[in-house]
Amino acid sequence: MVIAVAAMSIAVTATYFITDNLHDTMGERLIVEDVWFTAGKISIYLRNVGKVSIKIAAVYVDHTPQSFTPLELEEKEHGWLNVTYGWSSNSAYHLNIVTNRGTKVVDYYESAS
Amino acid sequence: MNLRLKRDRRGVSSIIVVAFSLVIVVAIIANIVLWSYEMNQLDWERMKEEISIINVERDIETNGTRFTFRNEGALTSHLVSLWIINSTNHQRYGIDVVVNSAETKNYLHSDISLPNDQYTVKVATERGNIAVLSG
Repeated sequence: MVIAVAAMSIAVTATYFITDNLHDTMGERLIVEDVWFTAGKISIYLRNVGKVSIKIAAVYVDHTPQSFTPLELEEKEHGWLNVTYGWSSNSAYHLNIVTNRGTKVVDYYESAS
Repeated sequence: MNLRLKRDRRGVSSIIVVAFSLVIVVAIIANIVLWSYEMNQLDWERMKEEISIINVERDIETNGTRFTFRNEGALTSHLVSLWIINSTNHQRYGIDVVVNSAETKNYLHSDISLPNDQYTVKVATERGNIAVLSG
């Protein structure tokens, strides 16, 4: 009896934790509304179009991690993500925005002339 | 006799615990399957959405700007963001415009005056699609 209770408690708890993480990861959706290259930084306007809150964990410009202002967006929220980066005019940059659950938004954006 | 009865009760209790726990595990997994279905539905709706900006013009009466949106998709679109972008500024306006399927809708915004130089107008929907028009 004790063994059965212990085994099933472990099974239920494990199932809960594994699926809870999966649930949140599956619910993440993020879009880039706009990218603005200004002096010494790249401003990225993000919108959370998913079903869970998101937190930006990393930003890569041309595959190199860059410093950025922390950003958390609740469901349907939107806002600027400011990335410190010395960019050159008329160049294409590969931007990769990663959330703390691992969802990525990746695309090329061209800087202003 | 008493000892045997005790053993039988223990056996029944174990079966009840296992059965009850299995019900909980199945409920948790069913929740994930339903959630997956819901997110697939969301992605499907996003793919089916087709919004476009067909015209942008200055409105002389109000000194604002008139936008014309067309919904060529199968679903109603909710427009939530409007961007006016030129070489010096990226200005975002929060909007609340609903365009039904196959509808062409005019939207007048009296606070927006178009830049004199080259500009781009962008509109974003609640589902996450973006339409762009350069003027």
